[in-house]
Amino acid sequence: MKIKLKISRYDPMGSSGYEPFLQAYDVNISAGTTVLDALHKIKDEQDGTLSFRRSCRSAICGSCAVKINGTPKLACKTQVIPEFEKHSTVIIESLSSLPVIKDLVVDFDAFWHKIHKIEPYLNPKEDDKDLKDKDGWWIIKKEDALKTDDASNCIACGCCYSSCNTMDADREFLGPAALTKAWRFIGDIREGKTRRLSKISDEHGIWSCSRCIECTEVCPKDVRPLTAIENLRSEAIKKGITDNAGVRHVEAMVDSVRKTGKLDEAAMTFRTLGFMRSIGMIPLGLKMELHGKMPLPSLFGTIEGIDEVKKIYDEIEKENLSLHAINREREEK
Amino acid sequence: MRYAYYPGCASQVITKEYSTTTKKVCQILGIGLEEMKDANCCGAGLMTDYNYELSLALNARIFAQAEKMSLDIITICSTCFMVMSRANRDLKEKPELLEKINNVLKKAGLRYSGNVRVKHFLFALIEDYGLKKLKKMVKKPLKDMKVAPYYGCHILRPSYAEGFDDPEKPSSLERLIEALGADVTHNEGKTKCCGFQIVLVTQTTAVDMIGKRLKEAKDSGAQCIVSPCPLCHISLDSYQGEAEKRTHQKLGVPVLHLSQLVGLALGISANELEFSRHLVSPEAVIMRFSD
Ligand code: FES
Repeated sequence: MKIKLKISRYDPMGSSGYEPFLQAYDVNISAGTTVLDALHKIKDEQDGTLSFRRSCRSAICGSCAVKINGTPKLACKTQVIPEFEKHSTVIIESLSSLPVIKDLVVDFDAFWHKIHKIEPYLNPKEDDKDLKDKDGWWIIKKEDALKTDDASNCIACGCCYSSCNTMDADREFLGPAALTKAWRFIGDIREGKTRRLSKISDEHGIWSCSRCIECTEVCPKDVRPLTAIENLRSEAIKKGITDNAGVRHVEAMVDSVRKTGKLDEAAMTFRTLGFMRSIGMIPLGLKMELHGKMPLPSLFGTIEGIDEVKKIYDEIEKENLSLHAINREREEK
Repeated sequence: MRYAYYPGCASQVITKEYSTTTKKVCQILGIGLEEMKDANCCGAGLMTDYNYELSLALNARIFAQAEKMSLDIITICSTCFMVMSRANRDLKEKPELLEKINNVLKKAGLRYSGNVRVKHFLFALIEDYGLKKLKKMVKKPLKDMKVAPYYGCHILRPSYAEGFDDPEKPSSLERLIEALGADVTHNEGKTKCCGFQIVLVTQTTAVDMIGKRLKEAKDSGAQCIVSPCPLCHISLDSYQGEAEKRTHQKLGVPVLHLSQLVGLALGISANELEFSRHLVSPEAVIMRFSD
């Protein structure tokens, strides 16, 4: 059947230099025709000036990612008919958050720059008798390998980068792909002493993720970048890289639940921002108070079964001695 | 219809009006809510950042309580819904993990067998109650009221956890708005993020997101937004002034809780729906529907 494909065209640098617009093409589509097949058909049969990227045609190389009806997807892995049936239209656009070179081709420089920033190679420990056999080979247990298995499946297609809500508001954010790559190495038991984790704990790093979960939703390889970011956050806390608002925010919540069983917004604000910056929140606080919305700590109360909650904390911390040590240290402060 | 009701921490204090109005709506509809007064916080995702197993164990405590009540859980908070669904899915899918967590719970005298389902209020209205039945209960159709549906993130994603609606093309809010007699606007950013989780961490980024969401809703021609999540409400309502400061423009978009929109159509008065607790007053939009 004939289906109309609407494709974003833009040539910011070329001699023709056309402004962005949507161009419609009627294409013969049969069952199983992928969006990439359709793009090829257009280029071969109708319009040789249309530009897009592709290489493997089988969801391996990651070069054909585009937005299809608003969602970043691999053109070679997405069939046209189901898209049309669901949305009653097929709109194909270039990825978001990356500048267009021409039509569907975007400039990945910023993407790769961020991957490089996390130093995407293993920096192994010097020597670890427990992890090596007598011939010097690393012995990696299955459960250890599984920790970074999802992260290793990333094909760097940029779907997550394009969908990321923090990226949309902060272009310096490292983003889900680079952070997933960081977990690929930080979660590797061979990882030696590196500054990787403290670098990505800085501004525009792990604590800037707003947990919109778009990355995990759109990933065509089920990599689940959000889980990688959560792992990195836990690891940073365990390693004591805690001098930032992101960790203070988490710790305030952890302590609030331990004490009362509930999340106390007032304590969260105060502890995350510190005294000076909390003062800056007073005008908003007063405005909220006018509407009865000031989150005063006393309003939260304590749940009846708080002892059960405490027992759960104790039991988990017994198993995680590093957490236990951090907490004691924090309490002493 | 009876549920173990888990309002979440925010709606016990800051967005209290969301919980009280949900109870009023459920009373009219005959939906039984048994409030889980002794339930702990789900951890809001931050607990997962701290320690995955602690987060699982704390959620399992909530599930164990519901199991004792022999009821499924209903929550009005999208973040609680997401966190609990994810935890529940992990526990149900991995028996060894459930066993491990049960060993922790044992110290607190609890046990979870994996038989609870977690639902969001919106989904219970649509799946369990049914829109046809709801339509019959409408006393004051919200005629000519232009409402922007706003899902936000956690009611839709990750779809592997519960997956009630399609994150690419959700329709539950739209169907609900129409059932109440109001008009749905085409809200471009309806599945995008309100920035709540980082509003205290990287405030400028969060406030930029809030500004974008409000602008998209406004550009859609809406008179108000309807939100199924109290945290999105805090972002879009309480922080609207901050977004106006940053974008140097008046936005003035009122944000209604899901329960308030339903309540209005059921004939509950504005007073009882506690609109006065909002920072951005919805008065101009709702007055003609209230006695
Ligand atoms: S062409 Fe290689 S992933 Fe699509």
